[in-house]
Amino acid sequence: MSDSPVTRASAPPTVPTAQRPLRHRIQRILQPWLLQLALIILCTIMLFPIFSTVMLSLKTEADVRRRPPVLIPCDMPDGGWRLDACRFALDGYRRVFLPRENPTALLGWEITGRIFRLYMPNTLLYATASALLTTLLASMAAYAFSRYRFRGRQSLLVGVLALSGVPLLTMLLALYRMNIVMRNSLAGYDERAFMIAAYVGFELPFAIWLIKGFFDTIPRELEEAARMDGASRLGALGRIVAPLAAPGMASILLLSYVNVWNEFIANYLLMTRADYRGVMYGVYDYIAQALTAYNALAAACIIVMFPMIAVFLATRNVFLHSMVEGALKG
Amino acid sequence: MQTSRPSTVARWARFHSQIRRQFRRKLRGRAWLPFWLLLPSLIVIGLIQLYPAFYTFVLSTQRTEAGTGRMIFVGMDNFARLLTSTAFIQSLWHTLFFLGGYVLLTMTLALGIALLLRARVRLRPLYITLLFIPWVISDVIAGVVWRLFVVPDYGQFAPFFANPARFGEPNGISILTSPARDQLSLYIPFPPAPALIFLIFAAAWKVLPFITLLMLAALQTVPREVQESAAIDGATGWQALRFITLPLILPMLTVALFNLTLGGINGVGMVLSLTGGGPGNATEVLSYLLYSTGFSMLDFGLAGALSVVLAVINFALILFTLRTARAYEGHI
Repeated sequence: MSDSPVTRASAPPTVPTAQRPLRHRIQRILQPWLLQLALIILCTIMLFPIFSTVMLSLKTEADVRRRPPVLIPCDMPDGGWRLDACRFALDGYRRVFLPRENPTALLGWEITGRIFRLYMPNTLLYATASALLTTLLASMAAYAFSRYRFRGRQSLLVGVLALSGVPLLTMLLALYRMNIVMRNSLAGYDERAFMIAAYVGFELPFAIWLIKGFFDTIPRELEEAARMDGASRLGALGRIVAPLAAPGMASILLLSYVNVWNEFIANYLLMTRADYRGVMYGVYDYIAQALTAYNALAAACIIVMFPMIAVFLATRNVFLHSMVEGALKG
Repeated sequence: MQTSRPSTVARWARFHSQIRRQFRRKLRGRAWLPFWLLLPSLIVIGLIQLYPAFYTFVLSTQRTEAGTGRMIFVGMDNFARLLTSTAFIQSLWHTLFFLGGYVLLTMTLALGIALLLRARVRLRPLYITLLFIPWVISDVIAGVVWRLFVVPDYGQFAPFFANPARFGEPNGISILTSPARDQLSLYIPFPPAPALIFLIFAAAWKVLPFITLLMLAALQTVPREVQESAAIDGATGWQALRFITLPLILPMLTVALFNLTLGGINGVGMVLSLTGGGPGNATEVLSYLLYSTGFSMLDFGLAGALSVVLAVINFALILFTLRTARAYEGHI
């Protein structure tokens, strides 16, 4: 760098050459550690709300009502802090689950809390049914878009893409009225089917685009080779294309499952019977119900968010990839 | 006459069955397969998205007749009513303040975190996983979690926010109840209430992972050689970021920006569970106003007009994103 004194002549006095390598060396050693430190602090901040909720859900009634509030209920009267002084309790969870002794039930206990007994099964139904249907319908449509050239293909594709960003909120009013009209005029009409249809309708455009991207990467020649070898069109689809597109379908399955699980406003407004509402309504309803039993409210949150966090941790790579794919597409 | 009549019928029947057979063969044939594959999706999308869109528009031109409950046509009356109502103008400002803070905070933090994560650090997958946990939490739960921070007296940060020197004289108890002070006018609710600022932080916390992920993906498309050659040419870290990295990822930044804005305009779950629109109407954003007009006040005409306004905003944003995303695909 400072090989020629002529070129450096007009430059301001530089750091003595003997010190530069040392500074660089210190920087090189320190930098990874500083980076690690920054990332650790960052993770702590991002996870703090969750940590604090977990702690709150495990507090006893007396610790919930402490002023000033205490984060970890492990302090002692003299101001010290000891691990074996922790006063964790399951009061909050007990209030949410409301276990009642019942000799005929499994294990002798029966869970009577509404979140677990009523809202959780509803959400499981909505999430499972709409995730499966979305994946199936989107795969069919995406295959058609990816493999065939037909009249109106391009305009349909653009239309689907434009719809993929339309939020549920703007259509809620109309869907609400449609649901009421159908309920009053159709015999044997089940609101829950409408709920599932609504979720599928709103997940589909995005799902079609994502899976089409996967189909587009599978060479047509593979399929043609299979057909040459005597496989039927469906056989080629099942044996060659489906396994290769499986990651795309899996990510749509997961994403729509999580989306539907976390969805609140449509479920709350469209399902006029509280019996048909899902877990998010369970939590929302609990804000008013629990009053100042904040440990119970926190426990309800933990119970409802835990399954999705577990799903995310188990399948994080699928998640992270498909999110980027999807955002780029629409 | 009598002999020709049955023969006409027979001929017609033969012709008909022939057509039907042909038609059926055609429907089963290869050419129709894509149609059958697309049909279920198109039916669902038509039922759940297209028809409601049309119906919302119809609703926006109608009004519920007092007494009979019938809907009567009133033309653009609802739009006039909406655009001149104080509630709409105020919530428009609330939305703008919210979006401004939310977008600025999230974009800056996300870019910073993405730059940190770009380096080849040890345990990088672990950090990415941990940082992304808030993203799978629903907005209702995120709202409750942040609400629990500031609930009167017992919230973790309640003592901090209850200090009158910081956030004015609240009703003594919580940031969620302290009103905004000294606002410019009834129509320009500035400065916003503390609760709105708190809402910005809660919303940014939840969306930050997703935007960081987008930026990280964008940063990874910047070739390493370009950065290295910039460093050799003597560019400082800041110069490399400002003149090389940022221009290269600009399209993706735009995509992230619009994703963020769309989510910010349409999210209502967090407002419901965190502030419930209050104190007063200080956190009543457009999406919350739609909820309260349509489903609390049951004014379907007015809510229909608001839906149309929101849908137009959304559609404009989507079209803009599509154009940018297409430009981005061209770049790779």
